[in-house]
Amino acid sequence: MSPLPPLPKASRSVLRGLLRLLGNALYAASLLLGVAGCATWQAPGTFNDTELRSRAVAASRQGVSVAAAVLSAEDSRHMFGADVNKTGVQSIWIELQNQTPEPLWLLRPGSDPDYFSPLEVAWSIHTPLARDANARIDDHFNRLAFQNPILPGETRAGVLFINPERLTRVLNIDLLQRKGLIPFTLFLPVPDDAAVARSRPISFSYPDADIADYKDLAALRAGLERLPCCASDAHGAAGGDPLNAIFVGELPDIAAALVRRSYRRDAQAVDASQHVFGRGPDVVLRKQAQAGAPSTWMRLWLAPIRFEGRAVFLVQVGRPVGGRFVPRGAKDVVLHEDVDEARNLLIQDMMYSGGLDKLGFATGVGPASPTQPRTTLGGARYHTDGLRATLFLATRPLSLSDVEFLDWAPYLEVPDSPARNESRR
Amino acid sequence: MSRIVGLVLGAVAVALALVGCTSMPPAMSLDYKTRAATRTEGGVRVSTAALSADESATVYGVPLAKRSIQPVWIEIENREDRAYYLLSPGLDPNFFPASEASETVASGESPDQQVELGRRFRQLAFRNPVLPGATTSGFVLTNLDEGFKLVQIDLVSSGRARTFSILSIVPGFRADYRVTNVFRREVYPPGEIRNYTDDATFRTALEALPCCVTNQDGLKNGDPLNLVVVGGLDDAFPAFARRGWRPTEQKWSGSIIKMVTSALAGERYPYAPVSDLYMFGRAQDLALQKARDNIHQRNHLRLWLSPMRYHGKQVWVGQISRDIGSRLTIHSPTLTTHKIDPDVDEARSALAQDMAYSQNLTRIGYVKGVGTAPKSAPRGNLTTDPYYTDGFRGVLVFDHQPTSLAAVEFFPWEVARSTEESP
Repeated sequence: MSPLPPLPKASRSVLRGLLRLLGNALYAASLLLGVAGCATWQAPGTFNDTELRSRAVAASRQGVSVAAAVLSAEDSRHMFGADVNKTGVQSIWIELQNQTPEPLWLLRPGSDPDYFSPLEVAWSIHTPLARDANARIDDHFNRLAFQNPILPGETRAGVLFINPERLTRVLNIDLLQRKGLIPFTLFLPVPDDAAVARSRPISFSYPDADIADYKDLAALRAGLERLPCCASDAHGAAGGDPLNAIFVGELPDIAAALVRRSYRRDAQAVDASQHVFGRGPDVVLRKQAQAGAPSTWMRLWLAPIRFEGRAVFLVQVGRPVGGRFVPRGAKDVVLHEDVDEARNLLIQDMMYSGGLDKLGFATGVGPASPTQPRTTLGGARYHTDGLRATLFLATRPLSLSDVEFLDWAPYLEVPDSPARNESRR
Repeated sequence: MSRIVGLVLGAVAVALALVGCTSMPPAMSLDYKTRAATRTEGGVRVSTAALSADESATVYGVPLAKRSIQPVWIEIENREDRAYYLLSPGLDPNFFPASEASETVASGESPDQQVELGRRFRQLAFRNPVLPGATTSGFVLTNLDEGFKLVQIDLVSSGRARTFSILSIVPGFRADYRVTNVFRREVYPPGEIRNYTDDATFRTALEALPCCVTNQDGLKNGDPLNLVVVGGLDDAFPAFARRGWRPTEQKWSGSIIKMVTSALAGERYPYAPVSDLYMFGRAQDLALQKARDNIHQRNHLRLWLSPMRYHGKQVWVGQISRDIGSRLTIHSPTLTTHKIDPDVDEARSALAQDMAYSQNLTRIGYVKGVGTAPKSAPRGNLTTDPYYTDGFRGVLVFDHQPTSLAAVEFFPWEVARSTEESP
């Protein structure tokens, strides 16, 4: 038998639940009173999508054209008669044109493994006891939602409801056809973040002359091993977190792999204090774990290195002390000492992304034993085997058996030594 | 041995030292090892057992089951020419890293105890890689499953993957005998089983199945039978496990109390029970669910093993729906039920799409048999939730070998379209 939660906690949550119910009841009552005085949900008029189309980001490949844009709060009100952004949902308008001889299916979990169904979003704006109005809301959402399949020769537009992302939406569009996948990755500006929104996910770039483009793996490895071990603070002084991973690949391929495994852009104030190449991180991502708790983070810096023309990112991967159990919105995140664990689990996660092509370990971080840990910004300590996991990401959907392990630095997870344990007592 | 390992961080030396000796076994109770299930493929042998609440308390020294954490013991013997890596997200995409679990259970303890717990959890954890010639064992910490667990072991090496899936029975919990029966012995007499090797005949047989599940006496129709899963423990269920689908608890009073509490508080409770529905004269053989942010957002499905086989693989028929909230009802003895998304086709296609990312899905198809229910005239399920459908059932065929997204094939059958767009 499964144990019940301890009584005090259970009582608290029941109490919380009852309070919430009471709150809901009061809210419902206020809505009903409101209904008496003014109209409830009204079907919006025809939506003029000119502006939406003008800012949509477009791409074409293999006989398929896509265009997509993030709906603003205002778009949402005009289109749905309510601002669904307020319910913790981001609405994406997508248009797909299929000029292949095969039907196509948009795979929603590829855009967001936790996407929302149209009626789920509709349900969140239902009014209690307003059956007819609710049915009209459902109809309206169904009409506007994106519908599969896209038949040969057809052009189809609709809305996808996914979890929100700020500034730049990385939109992964995986189109399944009979025996094939046509993937797109688009970077969409988020309109309500207008001042800072951008369609380029990374504003930084190097002049060509500053970039070393390596043509073979041995030279790349040597180049990676020469990169700095760690971040610094804004003055280039104190040691920051270790740079314990590398991504090699086209930006869309890297983004697609990360989206498929629920990494979302989520920079917090604490991230900005880590500096590499004289600047803060170009992108920060956090893994959306169970119950939406952000845990593992990745801070990425574009490196002045290329490999066969593909981008190279220097990455810090770590997780906060407390992991998923840190309260949401907690500000004082502290790096957990076992940074290798976070790195190794990132590798495992990427194996399931369908984008991992090659994996190798390079040196460059420098080992720090548990008995002689290093101190990072803010006073956290960490230990590491000193290796940098290098992940090569590709477009082609790959399976678990396609990953090539490079014969670089040998890698082992080592158990604790008695000395290591004693030193901590 | 661990002293040597600690002293020599130069990995090559460690590699040499580890070849030929097994890694440290957990010290205490060996019961779980005696009931461990073992499989071999190529030169790789795996043994595994999911620990009961008592066993995990003994091995870890803390009551992990109370935190909904369940250690799974895994031993891997590698007689091949390359190192293998065990992928923990394959067992449970929401698994607990050892350090995270130890932090959770140690919070509030003295600093010394926190250090000690951290050390114990690290020592017990499974450590990669498994070098050629080596045997390695350790634990992966997963979310708690009561009764049984689908243990999916994905091992990768350069250019190769070995995958194993094992049904592990968890002692000490309320055992689910029906499930064990379905997996462990034949439900149907041999004469009743029909193996289909021709796609057209198979399609006809699938279309001839009843439209819907029923209540216990078979008199009232409930949710539509909109799902056909072809495969079993070796291929279909690993796919579910990889994408975070987990067995549900059977309906019983304790979990109903938990569910009501969770529904009231809006908290995430991944383990809510499902009510029984009927097909082939019996309640579902297996119910799985995928929890999202909280109890209001879950997808769940029920499956019945059919007497059909497709190229020798088991054929399960079932029902899938998306929960978008809990509500009170007088049509269920528990007085609560899930508000389902009336567009049941959406839930069906959500599953097909989710499974496309599992690396085990090889074919998708749609057949008739449910009967259309237009939105203007929806049907009701047993708890009076309305639903509408294009009338198709989704057919998902799984295979043991990892399949990339690009290799998923379609049966040239029906093209599923939402009712909205049907002519």
